[in-house]
Amino acid sequence: MLDKDCNENKCAEQIKKTFQTAEVEVKREKRVTVQLRSDLIPPFLSFAKEFMEFKHLSHMSCVDWVEDNELELVFILWNYEQQVQIIAKTRIERVNAQFVSVKKFWNQAETYEREFHEMYGVNFVGNDRLGEFILEDWEGVPPMLRDFDSIKYSKETFYQRPGREDAQNVRATIAKHSGEEVPGFAKDYTIRNIED
Amino acid sequence: MREKETTLYLGPQHPGITGNMMVKLKVAGDTIVKAETHVGYLHRAFEKLMENRTWTQCFPIVCRICVPEPDPNEENLARAIEEIEGREVPERAKYIRVMVLELARLASYQLWMGGQSGSMGLYTMPQWTVGDRDYILDLFEELTGGRIYHMYIWAGGVRRDLPDGLKGRVLNVLKYLENRLPDYDKLMFQNAMFRKRAEGVGIIPKEKAIEWGVVGSPLRGCGIKHDVRIDEPYEVYDKLEFEVPTHEGNDIWSRAMVRRQEIEQSISIIRQVLDKMPEGEYYNKIPNPLNWTIPAGDAFVKTESVRGEFGYYVVSDGSDKPRRVHVRGPAYVHGVTVLEEILKGANISDVSFIMNSLGTCPPEIER
Repeated sequence: MLDKDCNENKCAEQIKKTFQTAEVEVKREKRVTVQLRSDLIPPFLSFAKEFMEFKHLSHMSCVDWVEDNELELVFILWNYEQQVQIIAKTRIERVNAQFVSVKKFWNQAETYEREFHEMYGVNFVGNDRLGEFILEDWEGVPPMLRDFDSIKYSKETFYQRPGREDAQNVRATIAKHSGEEVPGFAKDYTIRNIED
Repeated sequence: MREKETTLYLGPQHPGITGNMMVKLKVAGDTIVKAETHVGYLHRAFEKLMENRTWTQCFPIVCRICVPEPDPNEENLARAIEEIEGREVPERAKYIRVMVLELARLASYQLWMGGQSGSMGLYTMPQWTVGDRDYILDLFEELTGGRIYHMYIWAGGVRRDLPDGLKGRVLNVLKYLENRLPDYDKLMFQNAMFRKRAEGVGIIPKEKAIEWGVVGSPLRGCGIKHDVRIDEPYEVYDKLEFEVPTHEGNDIWSRAMVRRQEIEQSISIIRQVLDKMPEGEYYNKIPNPLNWTIPAGDAFVKTESVRGEFGYYVVSDGSDKPRRVHVRGPAYVHGVTVLEEILKGANISDVSFIMNSLGTCPPEIER
Protein backbone atom coordinates (compact mmCIF):
# COMPACT_ATOMS: atom_id res chain seq x y z
CA MET A 1 0.00 0.00 0.00
CA LEU A 2 1.26 3.43 -0.83
CA ASP A 3 1.95 6.14 1.67
CA LYS A 4 -1.37 7.91 2.08
CA ASP A 5 0.10 10.68 4.15
CA CYS A 6 1.01 12.63 1.06
CA ASN A 7 1.56 16.33 1.03
CA GLU A 8 2.13 17.87 -2.38
CA ASN A 9 5.83 16.92 -2.51
CA LYS A 10 5.33 13.32 -1.45
CA CYS A 11 2.44 13.12 -3.82
CA ALA A 12 4.59 14.34 -6.73
CA GLU A 13 7.31 11.82 -5.85
CA GLN A 14 4.85 8.94 -5.81
CA ILE A 15 3.52 9.92 -9.21
CA LYS A 16 7.03 10.28 -10.68
CA LYS A 17 8.00 6.88 -9.30
CA THR A 18 4.96 5.17 -10.80
CA PHE A 19 4.59 7.09 -14.07
CA GLN A 20 8.15 7.72 -15.17
CA THR A 21 7.24 9.52 -18.39
CA ALA A 22 4.97 11.97 -16.56
CA GLU A 23 6.03 15.60 -16.21
CA VAL A 24 5.21 16.45 -12.60
CA GLU A 25 5.41 19.90 -11.08
CA VAL A 26 4.53 21.20 -7.63
CA LYS A 27 3.03 24.54 -8.59
CA ARG A 28 2.61 25.74 -5.05
CA GLU A 29 1.40 24.48 -1.70
CA LYS A 30 -1.33 21.87 -2.20
CA ARG A 31 -1.09 22.06 -5.99
CA VAL A 32 0.44 19.42 -8.24
CA THR A 33 0.31 19.49 -12.04
CA VAL A 34 0.86 16.31 -14.04
CA GLN A 35 1.30 16.13 -17.80
CA LEU A 36 0.77 12.64 -19.17
CA ARG A 37 0.60 10.72 -22.42
CA SER A 38 -3.05 10.20 -23.33
CA ASP A 39 -2.90 6.40 -22.95
CA LEU A 40 -1.67 6.81 -19.36
CA ILE A 41 -4.62 8.86 -18.17
CA PRO A 42 -6.95 5.93 -17.27
CA PRO A 43 -4.26 4.07 -15.26
CA PHE A 44 -3.25 7.36 -13.66
CA LEU A 45 -6.81 8.19 -12.59
CA SER A 46 -7.27 4.69 -11.22
CA PHE A 47 -3.96 4.95 -9.32
CA ALA A 48 -4.79 8.39 -7.92
CA LYS A 49 -8.25 7.33 -6.81
CA GLU A 50 -7.53 3.91 -5.38
CA PHE A 51 -4.00 4.25 -4.02
CA MET A 52 -3.57 7.94 -3.28
CA GLU A 53 -7.05 8.71 -1.95
CA PHE A 54 -7.93 11.30 -4.59
CA LYS A 55 -11.57 10.28 -4.32
CA HIS A 56 -13.16 13.50 -5.48
CA LEU A 57 -13.31 14.44 -9.16
CA SER A 58 -13.52 18.20 -8.77
CA HIS A 59 -13.71 19.03 -12.43
CA MET A 60 -12.94 17.99 -15.98
CA SER A 61 -12.17 20.45 -18.72
CA CYS A 62 -11.26 20.68 -22.39
CA VAL A 63 -9.15 23.40 -23.98
CA ASP A 64 -8.70 23.93 -27.71
CA TRP A 65 -5.07 24.66 -28.74
CA VAL A 66 -5.93 25.19 -32.37
CA GLU A 67 -2.45 26.47 -33.24
CA ASP A 68 -0.99 23.09 -32.17
CA ASN A 69 -3.87 21.22 -33.77
CA GLU A 70 -4.54 19.61 -30.36
CA LEU A 71 -7.19 19.46 -27.66
CA GLU A 72 -6.14 19.37 -24.04
CA LEU A 73 -8.17 17.26 -21.61
CA VAL A 74 -7.87 18.27 -17.99
CA PHE A 75 -8.79 16.21 -14.92
CA ILE A 76 -8.84 17.94 -11.55
CA LEU A 77 -8.78 15.70 -8.50
CA TRP A 78 -8.99 16.49 -4.83
CA ASN A 79 -7.77 14.55 -1.80
CA TYR A 80 -10.10 15.40 1.09
CA GLU A 81 -7.80 13.94 3.72
CA GLN A 82 -4.54 15.62 2.71
CA GLN A 83 -6.21 18.55 0.96
CA VAL A 84 -4.06 18.38 -2.14
CA GLN A 85 -5.20 19.10 -5.67
CA ILE A 86 -3.88 17.39 -8.79
CA ILE A 87 -4.41 18.88 -12.23
CA ALA A 88 -3.71 16.09 -14.72
CA LYS A 89 -3.50 17.07 -18.37
CA THR A 90 -3.10 15.30 -21.65
CA ARG A 91 -3.28 16.36 -25.28
CA ILE A 92 -5.08 14.54 -28.07
CA GLU A 93 -5.39 15.03 -31.81
CA ARG A 94 -7.91 17.71 -32.63
CA VAL A 95 -9.19 16.12 -35.85
CA ASN A 96 -11.45 13.10 -35.22
CA ALA A 97 -10.70 13.54 -31.53
CA GLN A 98 -11.14 10.36 -29.56
CA PHE A 99 -10.55 9.37 -25.95
CA VAL A 100 -11.52 6.55 -23.67
CA SER A 101 -14.42 7.25 -21.27
CA VAL A 102 -13.45 7.55 -17.62
CA LYS A 103 -17.01 7.18 -16.28
CA LYS A 104 -16.04 3.80 -14.83
CA PHE A 105 -14.02 5.72 -12.22
CA TRP A 106 -16.54 8.49 -11.56
CA ASN A 107 -20.08 8.29 -12.86
CA GLN A 108 -20.31 12.10 -13.09
CA ALA A 109 -17.53 12.09 -15.71
CA GLU A 110 -20.28 10.98 -18.08
CA THR A 111 -21.81 14.48 -18.04
CA TYR A 112 -18.49 16.19 -18.82
CA GLU A 113 -17.90 13.76 -21.66
CA ARG A 114 -21.34 14.43 -23.10
CA GLU A 115 -20.55 18.14 -23.05
CA PHE A 116 -17.10 17.79 -24.63
CA HIS A 117 -18.53 15.55 -27.30
CA GLU A 118 -21.14 18.14 -28.20
CA MET A 119 -19.01 21.27 -27.80
CA TYR A 120 -15.59 20.00 -28.99
CA GLY A 121 -16.43 16.92 -31.04
CA VAL A 122 -14.51 14.47 -28.84
CA ASN A 123 -15.71 10.89 -29.10
CA PHE A 124 -15.48 9.14 -25.75
CA VAL A 125 -15.32 5.41 -26.32
CA GLY A 126 -17.38 3.58 -23.70
CA ASN A 127 -19.82 6.41 -22.98
CA ASP A 128 -23.19 5.35 -24.34
CA ARG A 129 -24.91 8.68 -23.66
CA LEU A 130 -23.05 10.79 -26.18
CA GLY A 131 -25.48 12.75 -28.33
CA GLU A 132 -27.68 15.77 -27.91
CA PHE A 133 -27.08 17.31 -24.48
CA ILE A 134 -27.34 21.09 -24.31
CA LEU A 135 -27.77 22.06 -27.97
CA GLU A 136 -30.70 21.16 -30.19
CA ASP A 137 -30.47 20.06 -33.83
CA TRP A 138 -26.92 21.36 -34.05
CA GLU A 139 -25.08 20.73 -37.29
CA GLY A 140 -21.65 21.83 -38.30
CA VAL A 141 -18.54 22.74 -36.35
CA PRO A 142 -18.79 21.97 -32.62
CA PRO A 143 -19.26 25.49 -31.24
CA MET A 144 -16.58 25.60 -28.57
CA LEU A 145 -13.81 24.93 -31.07
CA ARG A 146 -11.76 28.06 -31.69
CA ASP A 147 -12.44 28.05 -35.42
CA PHE A 148 -16.19 28.34 -34.87
CA ASP A 149 -16.92 32.01 -35.55
CA SER A 150 -19.76 32.93 -33.20
CA ILE A 151 -20.19 36.46 -34.61
CA LYS A 152 -20.51 35.15 -38.15
CA TYR A 153 -22.96 32.50 -36.97
CA SER A 154 -24.99 35.11 -35.15
CA LYS A 155 -25.18 37.40 -38.19
CA GLU A 156 -26.22 34.54 -40.46
CA THR A 157 -28.77 33.08 -38.07
CA PHE A 158 -30.49 36.01 -36.40
CA TYR A 159 -31.94 39.22 -37.75
CA GLN A 160 -33.12 42.58 -36.44
CA ARG A 161 -36.77 42.66 -35.50
CA PRO A 162 -38.64 44.57 -38.25
CA GLY A 163 -39.11 48.21 -37.26
CA ARG A 164 -36.24 48.08 -34.78
CA GLU A 165 -33.38 48.54 -37.22
CA ASP A 166 -32.80 52.11 -36.03
CA ALA A 167 -32.28 50.82 -32.50
CA GLN A 168 -28.74 50.01 -33.58
CA ASN A 169 -27.84 53.57 -32.59
CA VAL A 170 -30.30 54.87 -30.05
CA ARG A 171 -28.59 58.16 -29.28
CA ALA A 172 -28.20 59.07 -32.93
CA THR A 173 -31.82 58.25 -33.65
CA ILE A 174 -33.10 60.36 -30.76
CA ALA A 175 -30.85 63.23 -31.82
CA LYS A 176 -32.13 62.99 -35.38
CA HIS A 177 -35.78 63.01 -34.30
CA SER A 178 -35.51 65.67 -31.60
CA GLY A 179 -32.86 67.95 -33.03
CA GLU A 180 -30.93 67.61 -29.78
CA GLU A 181 -27.24 68.27 -30.13
CA VAL A 182 -25.00 65.34 -29.22
CA PRO A 183 -22.01 66.43 -27.09
CA GLY A 184 -18.69 66.49 -28.88
CA PHE A 185 -17.08 63.70 -26.87
CA ALA A 186 -19.90 61.32 -27.83
CA LYS A 187 -20.04 62.18 -31.52
CA ASP A 188 -17.42 59.64 -32.51
CA TYR A 189 -19.66 56.89 -31.23
CA THR A 190 -22.95 58.43 -32.25
CA ILE A 191 -22.94 60.37 -35.47
CA ARG A 192 -21.31 57.97 -37.85
CA ASN A 193 -24.57 56.29 -38.81
CA ILE A 194 -26.87 59.27 -38.59
CA GLU A 195 -26.83 59.97 -42.31
CA ASP A 196 -27.24 56.28 -43.25
CA MET B 1 -48.47 -8.30 -10.79
CA ARG B 2 -45.96 -5.82 -12.21
CA GLU B 3 -47.46 -2.43 -12.86
CA LYS B 4 -47.39 -1.04 -16.39
CA GLU B 5 -44.60 1.47 -16.94
CA THR B 6 -45.40 4.88 -18.40
CA THR B 7 -43.15 7.66 -19.63
CA LEU B 8 -43.77 11.01 -18.00
CA TYR B 9 -42.14 14.26 -19.07
CA LEU B 10 -41.91 16.47 -16.01
CA GLY B 11 -40.94 20.11 -16.43
CA PRO B 12 -39.27 22.19 -17.69
CA GLN B 13 -41.00 24.28 -15.00
CA HIS B 14 -40.70 22.98 -11.47
CA PRO B 15 -42.06 24.70 -8.37
CA GLY B 16 -39.31 26.47 -6.50
CA ILE B 17 -36.51 25.75 -9.00
CA THR B 18 -34.53 28.69 -10.33
CA GLY B 19 -34.37 27.83 -14.01
CA ASN B 20 -35.81 25.31 -16.40
CA MET B 21 -34.99 21.72 -17.05
CA MET B 22 -36.99 18.68 -17.97
CA VAL B 23 -36.90 15.32 -16.27
CA LYS B 24 -37.98 12.35 -18.32
CA LEU B 25 -39.37 9.73 -15.97
CA LYS B 26 -40.27 6.13 -16.40
CA VAL B 27 -42.94 5.46 -13.77
CA ALA B 28 -44.81 2.46 -12.49
CA GLY B 29 -47.90 3.78 -10.76
CA ASP B 30 -46.54 6.88 -9.04
CA THR B 31 -43.13 5.38 -8.33
CA ILE B 32 -40.17 6.40 -10.45
CA VAL B 33 -38.29 3.55 -12.07
CA LYS B 34 -35.83 5.58 -14.12
CA ALA B 35 -35.03 9.26 -14.51
CA GLU B 36 -33.21 11.14 -17.27
CA THR B 37 -32.50 14.83 -17.04
CA HIS B 38 -32.75 17.05 -20.10
CA VAL B 39 -31.20 20.49 -20.12
CA GLY B 40 -30.85 22.98 -22.97
CA TYR B 41 -33.46 25.62 -22.15
CA LEU B 42 -31.01 28.18 -20.80
CA HIS B 43 -27.77 27.82 -22.72
CA ARG B 44 -26.31 31.29 -23.27
CA ALA B 45 -22.84 30.28 -24.46
CA PHE B 46 -21.20 32.33 -21.70
CA GLU B 47 -17.94 30.41 -21.91
CA LYS B 48 -17.72 30.99 -25.67
CA LEU B 49 -18.61 34.66 -25.23
CA MET B 50 -15.79 35.12 -22.76
CA GLU B 51 -13.23 33.94 -25.32
CA ASN B 52 -14.04 37.13 -27.24
CA ARG B 53 -14.07 39.50 -24.25
CA THR B 54 -11.27 41.23 -22.40
CA TRP B 55 -10.61 39.92 -18.90
CA THR B 56 -12.52 42.76 -17.25
CA GLN B 57 -15.45 42.38 -19.65
CA CYS B 58 -15.93 38.82 -18.38
CA PHE B 59 -17.11 39.96 -14.95
CA PRO B 60 -20.57 41.15 -16.06
CA ILE B 61 -21.00 37.76 -17.78
CA VAL B 62 -20.03 35.34 -15.00
CA CYS B 63 -22.38 36.72 -12.37
CA ARG B 64 -25.30 35.82 -14.65
CA ILE B 65 -24.46 32.12 -14.47
CA CYS B 66 -26.35 31.76 -11.19
CA VAL B 67 -29.28 34.01 -10.29
CA PRO B 68 -29.69 32.97 -6.64
CA GLU B 69 -26.02 33.43 -5.78
CA PRO B 70 -23.98 35.32 -8.38
CA ASP B 71 -21.12 36.48 -6.15
CA PRO B 72 -19.12 33.22 -5.93
CA ASN B 73 -18.78 33.47 -9.72
CA GLU B 74 -17.22 36.92 -9.52
CA GLU B 75 -14.98 35.91 -6.64
CA ASN B 76 -13.83 32.74 -8.40
CA LEU B 77 -12.96 34.51 -11.63
CA ALA B 78 -11.17 37.29 -9.76
CA ARG B 79 -9.17 34.85 -7.65
CA ALA B 80 -8.26 32.68 -10.65
CA ILE B 81 -6.92 35.74 -12.51
CA GLU B 82 -5.05 36.86 -9.39
CA GLU B 83 -3.51 33.42 -9.00
CA ILE B 84 -2.31 33.28 -12.62
CA GLU B 85 -1.08 36.87 -12.55
CA GLY B 86 0.32 36.81 -9.01
CA ARG B 87 -1.64 39.92 -8.11
CA GLU B 88 -1.93 40.77 -4.40
CA VAL B 89 -5.29 41.72 -2.93
CA PRO B 90 -5.48 44.27 -0.08
CA GLU B 91 -6.54 42.84 3.29
CA ARG B 92 -9.55 45.13 3.52
CA ALA B 93 -10.79 43.93 0.12
CA LYS B 94 -10.60 40.34 1.33
CA TYR B 95 -12.80 41.15 4.32
CA ILE B 96 -15.26 43.00 2.12
CA ARG B 97 -15.36 40.03 -0.25
CA VAL B 98 -16.20 37.67 2.60
CA MET B 99 -18.95 40.02 3.76
CA VAL B 100 -20.43 40.04 0.25
CA LEU B 101 -20.14 36.27 -0.12
CA GLU B 102 -21.84 35.63 3.22
CA LEU B 103 -24.60 38.16 2.55
CA ALA B 104 -25.13 36.40 -0.78
CA ARG B 105 -25.28 33.11 1.11
CA LEU B 106 -27.98 34.49 3.41
CA ALA B 107 -29.95 35.88 0.45
CA SER B 108 -29.66 32.57 -1.33
CA TYR B 109 -30.84 30.66 1.74
CA GLN B 110 -33.92 32.86 1.79
CA LEU B 111 -34.67 31.80 -1.77
CA TRP B 112 -33.96 28.17 -0.94
CA MET B 113 -36.33 28.22 2.07
CA GLY B 114 -39.01 29.69 -0.14
CA GLY B 115 -38.35 27.20 -2.93
CA GLN B 116 -38.12 24.15 -0.69
CA SER B 117 -41.36 25.05 1.08
CA GLY B 118 -43.08 26.08 -2.13
CA SER B 119 -42.28 22.73 -3.71
CA MET B 120 -44.39 21.00 -1.06
CA GLY B 121 -47.24 23.50 -1.21
CA LEU B 122 -46.30 25.62 1.83
CA TYR B 123 -46.71 28.93 0.05
CA THR B 124 -46.54 31.30 3.03
CA MET B 125 -42.83 30.68 3.41
CA PRO B 126 -41.77 32.07 0.00
CA GLN B 127 -43.90 35.17 0.68
CA TRP B 128 -41.92 35.77 3.87
CA THR B 129 -38.47 34.84 2.68
CA VAL B 130 -38.59 36.68 -0.64
CA GLY B 131 -39.65 39.75 1.32
CA ASP B 132 -36.85 39.30 3.87
CA ARG B 133 -34.31 38.70 1.11
CA ASP B 134 -35.15 42.14 -0.20
CA TYR B 135 -33.55 43.73 2.88
CA ILE B 136 -30.27 42.08 1.88
CA LEU B 137 -30.74 43.21 -1.71
CA ASP B 138 -31.15 46.77 -0.42
CA LEU B 139 -27.67 46.48 1.11
CA PHE B 140 -26.27 45.16 -2.14
CA GLU B 141 -27.86 48.01 -4.05
CA GLU B 142 -26.28 50.53 -1.74
CA LEU B 143 -22.88 48.86 -1.89
CA THR B 144 -22.69 47.88 -5.55
CA GLY B 145 -25.47 49.64 -7.44
CA GLY B 146 -27.09 46.32 -8.36
CA ARG B 147 -29.62 44.25 -6.47
CA ILE B 148 -29.06 40.81 -8.05
CA TYR B 149 -25.97 41.05 -10.26
CA HIS B 150 -23.30 43.08 -8.56
CA MET B 151 -20.15 43.07 -10.71
CA TYR B 152 -18.51 44.26 -7.53
CA ILE B 153 -15.72 41.76 -6.87
CA TRP B 154 -13.08 42.00 -9.58
CA ALA B 155 -9.43 41.22 -10.03
CA GLY B 156 -7.32 43.13 -7.52
CA GLY B 157 -10.03 43.71 -4.91
CA VAL B 158 -13.50 45.22 -4.99
CA ARG B 159 -14.94 48.01 -7.10
CA ARG B 160 -15.56 50.56 -4.34
CA ASP B 161 -15.21 50.97 -0.61
CA LEU B 162 -18.07 50.61 1.89
CA PRO B 163 -20.39 53.63 1.93
CA ASP B 164 -20.58 55.60 5.19
CA GLY B 165 -22.86 53.93 7.72
CA LEU B 166 -23.24 50.68 5.79
CA LYS B 167 -21.77 48.61 8.62
CA GLY B 168 -24.56 49.73 10.95
CA ARG B 169 -27.20 48.98 8.36
CA VAL B 170 -25.75 45.50 7.77
CA LEU B 171 -25.89 44.83 11.52
CA ASN B 172 -29.51 45.97 11.64
CA VAL B 173 -30.47 43.58 8.85
CA LEU B 174 -28.58 40.74 10.56
CA LYS B 175 -30.45 41.41 13.79
CA TYR B 176 -33.75 41.41 11.93
CA LEU B 177 -32.93 38.13 10.14
CA GLU B 178 -31.83 36.53 13.40
CA ASN B 179 -35.10 37.50 15.02
CA ARG B 180 -36.97 35.96 12.11
CA LEU B 181 -35.39 32.52 12.61
CA PRO B 182 -37.94 31.39 15.26
CA ASP B 183 -40.70 32.28 12.78
CA TYR B 184 -39.04 30.24 10.05
CA ASP B 185 -38.65 27.38 12.51
CA LYS B 186 -42.32 27.40 13.48
CA LEU B 187 -43.54 27.60 9.91
CA MET B 188 -41.05 25.35 8.13
CA PHE B 189 -38.36 23.53 10.05
CA GLN B 190 -40.55 22.40 12.96
CA ASN B 191 -43.57 21.88 10.78
CA ALA B 192 -44.77 18.28 11.10
CA MET B 193 -45.81 18.25 7.45
CA PHE B 194 -42.33 19.30 6.30
CA ARG B 195 -40.69 16.69 8.48
CA LYS B 196 -43.03 13.97 7.26
CA ARG B 197 -42.35 14.86 3.63
CA ALA B 198 -38.59 15.28 4.08
CA GLU B 199 -37.49 12.41 6.32
CA GLY B 200 -36.29 9.34 4.49
CA VAL B 201 -36.77 10.98 1.08
CA GLY B 202 -34.05 11.73 -1.49
CA ILE B 203 -31.47 9.59 0.27
CA ILE B 204 -27.84 9.82 -0.86
CA PRO B 205 -25.93 6.73 0.32
CA LYS B 206 -23.20 8.03 2.63
CA GLU B 207 -20.59 5.61 1.28
CA LYS B 208 -21.25 6.83 -2.27
CA ALA B 209 -21.49 10.56 -1.57
CA ILE B 210 -17.86 11.54 -2.25
CA GLU B 211 -17.46 9.20 -5.20
CA TRP B 212 -20.64 10.61 -6.76
CA GLY B 213 -19.21 14.13 -6.46
CA VAL B 214 -21.73 15.34 -3.87
CA VAL B 215 -20.59 18.59 -2.24
CA GLY B 216 -21.87 21.27 0.13
CA SER B 217 -24.89 20.82 2.39
CA PRO B 218 -25.98 17.56 0.67
CA LEU B 219 -22.56 16.12 1.63
CA ARG B 220 -22.74 17.53 5.16
CA GLY B 221 -26.28 16.15 5.37
CA CYS B 222 -24.63 12.71 5.04
CA GLY B 223 -22.58 13.46 8.16
CA ILE B 224 -19.40 14.19 6.16
CA LYS B 225 -17.71 17.35 7.36
CA HIS B 226 -16.21 19.05 4.33
CA ASP B 227 -16.42 22.71 3.46
CA VAL B 228 -14.07 24.58 1.09
CA ARG B 229 -13.90 27.46 3.60
CA ILE B 230 -12.25 25.06 6.07
CA ASP B 231 -10.52 22.55 3.78
CA GLU B 232 -8.77 25.17 1.69
CA PRO B 233 -9.49 28.57 3.22
CA TYR B 234 -9.62 31.47 0.76
CA GLU B 235 -9.82 35.24 1.36
CA VAL B 236 -9.83 35.56 5.19
CA TYR B 237 -11.88 32.53 6.24
CA ASP B 238 -8.86 31.20 8.15
CA LYS B 239 -9.05 34.24 10.43
CA LEU B 240 -12.70 33.72 11.33
CA GLU B 241 -14.31 31.33 13.76
CA PHE B 242 -17.26 29.31 12.60
CA GLU B 243 -18.60 25.80 12.74
CA VAL B 244 -19.42 23.44 9.91
CA PRO B 245 -22.75 21.82 10.84
CA THR B 246 -23.36 18.23 9.81
CA HIS B 247 -26.37 15.98 10.19
CA GLU B 248 -26.78 12.25 9.86
CA GLY B 249 -29.69 10.99 7.85
CA ASN B 250 -28.65 11.53 4.23
CA ASP B 251 -32.13 12.78 3.33
CA ILE B 252 -33.89 16.07 2.57
CA TRP B 253 -34.51 16.66 6.25
CA SER B 254 -30.80 16.39 7.08
CA ARG B 255 -29.87 18.83 4.30
CA ALA B 256 -32.48 21.26 5.58
CA MET B 257 -31.14 21.03 9.12
CA VAL B 258 -27.60 21.68 7.93
CA ARG B 259 -28.72 24.77 6.01
CA ARG B 260 -30.78 26.05 8.93
CA GLN B 261 -27.68 25.95 11.17
CA GLU B 262 -25.50 27.47 8.45
CA ILE B 263 -27.71 30.56 8.42
CA GLU B 264 -26.67 31.23 12.02
CA GLN B 265 -23.02 30.61 11.14
CA SER B 266 -23.19 33.08 8.25
CA ILE B 267 -24.67 35.76 10.49
CA SER B 268 -21.85 35.17 12.96
CA ILE B 269 -19.21 35.32 10.19
CA ILE B 270 -20.49 38.68 8.90
CA ARG B 271 -20.44 40.14 12.42
CA GLN B 272 -16.83 39.01 12.86
CA VAL B 273 -15.90 40.46 9.48
CA LEU B 274 -17.38 43.83 10.35
CA ASP B 275 -15.60 43.75 13.67
CA LYS B 276 -12.17 42.77 12.32
CA MET B 277 -12.17 44.62 8.98
CA PRO B 278 -9.02 46.75 8.79
CA GLU B 279 -8.79 50.21 7.27
CA GLY B 280 -6.80 50.66 4.08
CA GLU B 281 -6.92 50.13 0.35
CA TYR B 282 -9.75 48.13 -1.19
CA TYR B 283 -8.30 47.74 -4.69
CA ASN B 284 -4.90 46.89 -6.13
CA LYS B 285 -5.37 48.76 -9.38
CA ILE B 286 -4.97 46.82 -12.61
CA PRO B 287 -3.40 48.45 -15.69
CA ASN B 288 -5.61 49.92 -18.42
CA PRO B 289 -8.26 47.19 -18.78
CA LEU B 290 -8.27 47.57 -22.58
CA ASN B 291 -4.58 46.65 -22.78
CA TRP B 292 -4.43 44.30 -19.81
CA THR B 293 -2.78 40.99 -20.60
CA ILE B 294 -2.44 38.07 -18.19
CA PRO B 295 0.66 35.85 -18.29
CA ALA B 296 0.17 32.40 -19.80
CA GLY B 297 -0.93 29.86 -17.21
CA ASP B 298 -3.92 28.17 -15.67
CA ALA B 299 -5.63 27.91 -12.29
CA PHE B 300 -8.49 26.02 -10.73
CA VAL B 301 -10.03 27.86 -7.80
CA LYS B 302 -13.13 27.09 -5.79
CA THR B 303 -15.44 28.65 -3.24
CA GLU B 304 -18.04 27.20 -0.91
CA SER B 305 -21.31 28.43 -2.38
CA VAL B 306 -24.70 27.78 -0.81
CA ARG B 307 -25.00 24.63 -2.88
CA GLY B 308 -21.41 23.49 -2.35
CA GLU B 309 -18.06 23.59 -4.09
CA PHE B 310 -18.13 26.08 -6.95
CA GLY B 311 -15.07 25.88 -9.18
CA TYR B 312 -13.52 27.85 -12.03
CA TYR B 313 -10.86 26.51 -14.35
CA VAL B 314 -9.27 29.48 -16.10
CA VAL B 315 -6.60 29.32 -18.80
CA SER B 316 -4.64 32.27 -20.14
CA ASP B 317 -2.51 32.14 -23.29
CA GLY B 318 -0.84 35.42 -22.39
CA SER B 319 -3.27 37.61 -24.31
CA ASP B 320 -5.86 40.19 -23.26
CA LYS B 321 -8.67 37.63 -23.44
CA PRO B 322 -9.16 34.27 -21.71
CA ARG B 323 -8.29 31.16 -23.67
CA ARG B 324 -10.80 29.24 -21.58
CA VAL B 325 -13.07 29.90 -18.61
CA HIS B 326 -14.79 26.70 -17.54
CA VAL B 327 -17.33 26.78 -14.74
CA ARG B 328 -18.09 23.88 -12.42
CA GLY B 329 -21.19 24.60 -10.37
CA PRO B 330 -22.42 22.04 -7.85
CA ALA B 331 -25.59 21.56 -9.91
CA TYR B 332 -23.52 20.19 -12.78
CA VAL B 333 -23.20 17.01 -10.75
CA HIS B 334 -26.13 17.27 -8.31
CA GLY B 335 -28.66 18.13 -11.00
CA VAL B 336 -27.71 15.42 -13.48
CA THR B 337 -26.06 12.16 -12.38
CA VAL B 338 -26.86 12.42 -8.64
CA LEU B 339 -30.46 13.43 -9.30
CA GLU B 340 -30.93 10.59 -11.78
CA GLU B 341 -29.66 8.11 -9.18
CA ILE B 342 -31.69 9.24 -6.21
CA LEU B 343 -34.93 9.71 -8.12
CA LYS B 344 -35.07 5.95 -8.62
CA GLY B 345 -37.77 4.64 -6.29
CA ALA B 346 -39.01 8.14 -5.38
CA ASN B 347 -42.61 9.30 -5.67
CA ILE B 348 -43.54 11.59 -8.59
CA SER B 349 -44.73 14.27 -6.17
CA ASP B 350 -41.27 14.43 -4.59
CA VAL B 351 -39.33 15.27 -7.77
CA SER B 352 -39.13 19.03 -7.38
CA PHE B 353 -38.83 18.59 -3.61
CA ILE B 354 -35.70 16.47 -4.13
CA MET B 355 -34.36 18.79 -6.86
CA ASN B 356 -34.63 21.70 -4.45
CA SER B 357 -32.87 19.87 -1.67
CA LEU B 358 -29.91 19.23 -3.98
CA GLY B 359 -29.72 22.88 -4.97
CA THR B 360 -30.47 22.13 -8.61
CA CYS B 361 -29.80 25.23 -10.67
CA PRO B 362 -30.21 24.51 -14.41
CA PRO B 363 -28.54 27.73 -15.70
CA GLU B 364 -25.38 26.60 -13.97
CA ILE B 365 -25.43 23.22 -15.72
CA GLU B 366 -25.51 24.60 -19.25
CA ARG B 367 -24.19 28.11 -18.67
